[in-house]
Amino acid sequence: MAITALIIFSWTLIGIAMIVLSAYAVRHYYLAYSRMRIAHPRETNELVGFVMPRITVFVPMHNEERVARDVLQALVDCDYDWELLEVIPVNDRSTDGTRAIVDDFARRYPFIKPYHRSEGVGGKPAALVEATVNATGEIYLMFDADYVPGRAVLKMLTAPFLDPEIGAVMGRVVPHNIGDSLLSGLLSLERSAGYQSVQQARFNLGFTAQFGGTVGGVRAAALRAVGGWNPESLTEDTDLTFALLLSGWRTAYVNRAECYEEVPQDWNVRRRQLSRWVTGHTECLHNYWPDLVRARFLTRGEKWDAIFLLAMYLTAPIIVLGWLASLVLFFVPEAHAVPVLPFAMLIIGYQLFSNQATFLEIGVATLLDGTRLRALLMPLSLLNFFANTGAICNALRKFYWNRFWGSGGDGWYKTHRTRPGSDGKGFGLNQAPTGAARQSLNGLYHANSEGMGD
Amino acid sequence: MLFLLYSVLFLALFYVHFSLAHRAWITIRGKRSSELDMSYVRLEDYFGQSFRRKLKTWLSTLPAASNSTANLRVYHHGQERIFVAPTVQYPSGRVEKEILVAEGTFACGNNCDFRREVMVHGDCSIGEGTSLQAIAADGALSLGEAVTIRRWVDAAGKLTIGADTAISSRATSRTAIEFLPGAYAQSLFAPEIATEGRNDDSPELSTKIGPVLQIPHRPGDSPQAQHGFDPQKLFSMGGGTYAYEGDLDVTTPLHLRAPLVVRGHFSCAKESLLEADIKAHRNITIGPASVVKGNLVCDGNMLLKPDVYFQSILQAGGTMRLSFGVRGLREKLPVAAHATGALTLESNIVINGKVSSAHRVIAISTPLAWLQTNSARA
Repeated sequence: MAITALIIFSWTLIGIAMIVLSAYAVRHYYLAYSRMRIAHPRETNELVGFVMPRITVFVPMHNEERVARDVLQALVDCDYDWELLEVIPVNDRSTDGTRAIVDDFARRYPFIKPYHRSEGVGGKPAALVEATVNATGEIYLMFDADYVPGRAVLKMLTAPFLDPEIGAVMGRVVPHNIGDSLLSGLLSLERSAGYQSVQQARFNLGFTAQFGGTVGGVRAAALRAVGGWNPESLTEDTDLTFALLLSGWRTAYVNRAECYEEVPQDWNVRRRQLSRWVTGHTECLHNYWPDLVRARFLTRGEKWDAIFLLAMYLTAPIIVLGWLASLVLFFVPEAHAVPVLPFAMLIIGYQLFSNQATFLEIGVATLLDGTRLRALLMPLSLLNFFANTGAICNALRKFYWNRFWGSGGDGWYKTHRTRPGSDGKGFGLNQAPTGAARQSLNGLYHANSEGMGD
Repeated sequence: MLFLLYSVLFLALFYVHFSLAHRAWITIRGKRSSELDMSYVRLEDYFGQSFRRKLKTWLSTLPAASNSTANLRVYHHGQERIFVAPTVQYPSGRVEKEILVAEGTFACGNNCDFRREVMVHGDCSIGEGTSLQAIAADGALSLGEAVTIRRWVDAAGKLTIGADTAISSRATSRTAIEFLPGAYAQSLFAPEIATEGRNDDSPELSTKIGPVLQIPHRPGDSPQAQHGFDPQKLFSMGGGTYAYEGDLDVTTPLHLRAPLVVRGHFSCAKESLLEADIKAHRNITIGPASVVKGNLVCDGNMLLKPDVYFQSILQAGGTMRLSFGVRGLREKLPVAAHATGALTLESNIVINGKVSSAHRVIAISTPLAWLQTNSARA
């Protein structure tokens, strides 16, 4: 009797796992296919430079002396009119030389207005809540301190806001430390697939893109409309995406607004980063899924897409339970009512079907990026897959345990930086032009800029 | 022994599965990504300026070939040749395969074929039916009828694009572009773009002003649906932006005072005043002689009827048509109009800025009889 119950339970688990994973596999096949086939009706590349509102750029910093100069120098070198630009480096209780670096830039450039924080709740969202109070821009853009935006990125991120329905915008992050470790090389594939394939495909299909909290921006009026940043969320970016969506605002994705980032090189750092994302994402799922289902402004497809997005980390424990159920069925002799070979073929065939979806997305992304050598790393993604599955399951375990017992969860954790200081020279990156940055309001014509003389 | 052999074979096959990945990793290890161009900025006349810059470098660093004369200097740049002459005049039917540089004026007859780029430091005139790879002029540039440009055109002076001329890429001028019927390009950018039949007389407006509908409505306005607007379908998104459920076809002049997202078609009657941005999930039609101060964005097709004056940006996910008499200009920045489908410009259009299309921008002639029947002046 117990054995029978166990067999039935195991088959049920496998059935659920196959249904859920099939749904995700079909979704990702469709996204990869549509990325290759569907044009970009909402692209704003041709309108870059014609949308020029007043913007505020926030750069949250906590002990960022290694990288602070690079990001601030890059913002100084951007081709946005300084009269319409405000840069607020948010110095959040730093104990190193961050404050001195920020103040030095503020002395030299009047549009840089530091906000120094010495007390209060720690973490990026809490810091942004305070720093936003005095911001004067219509659009708020955000860059993490270890990012180095190119000269045109501010204009590219601002262009989509010509559409009054757009409440937030997301650009693309490109790992620059791809060769520092095998993990960073594999994460570059993951990022490529996530942005070049998935984000762009979802945006082309009319779904809302996901705001990532960096290399992105939000309309000030929209942010106020949804109550501002959520300081209690570990993923205030995901939280904001769905708060905006439920109020009728959309998030745009600008694939061309590319910015270098530093991905974790170490599996421990990666695990902690993933844990924060899993916790924040799942918290958003619990907070928003009832409203998403009832949302008046969303079509059925948009609702399903949003639910799939928020629930994606739940696939990890579903996969693990499916494996365990398979093991039970394999080792329990009474379960061998079905012929073993067809059963094994079914499972293997199913695995191929569902796993290839992710590889297809990576392949599409590397093809479009022209980084075919990196695509050859794909078989090694298996290592990443097992590591991620373990980290996600552990993070979910802690999340639900804390939720069940009502205890506090993980606090804010700053990702460790490994890039050495470069005194603002953009170490290892392409050099931005030195000398006085162009300030032209209408820099749409070639006009006597350095390195491009007539 | 057999087991050992089997194990070795299995491990070897297992490694083969990962060998390409291993080799790729060895190649990538220690390197940093460098595919992003951090210094990139978007410039509308990039092609023309890039060509000028390269040419200047070549001509200042390359020695003139031994067969150069006073009237024709020849330079070799790899497999290419560059011909430089003070003034250039070609008869009809001429074919040239070299990069040409005219230090003064340049003129050619009909049906010539220039297979490489042309640089003209003075004024330039291109005969009918001629084909060019690309051309940059520091003076005025006049393209005759049915000229074909396989790539781009850039002029510092006035650019005249003759009837039925085809430009595959960008056409830019720092002065003005005259865009004649039948011509097309992928984008045009200039301080002033004009189509044929320019007439700067102000449109005659109605002497009888009917009821004006305000959105958002004022306190005290009727809650009943009227003139195509149903207040029950208007919702606040917060931040001063409103959403309207369904189609919004306003049959009386509309005064729009806040950003609006219409989840359907949007159209407004003539002489409307739109002071804020509008987004429509389907099509947008703007009535004649309306003033548009905000941006217009739609996922479908966009039509601006005659004599509309816009001061902003237009973006259409489908086609776009700017009717007779449309004007686009604003004070500090150029305006822009972009369509994913074809963008059609009728006669008597003046735009200070950019028109572009993922498909093509086409100029057409507006028949006089149609104008007499349909324009706001009627």
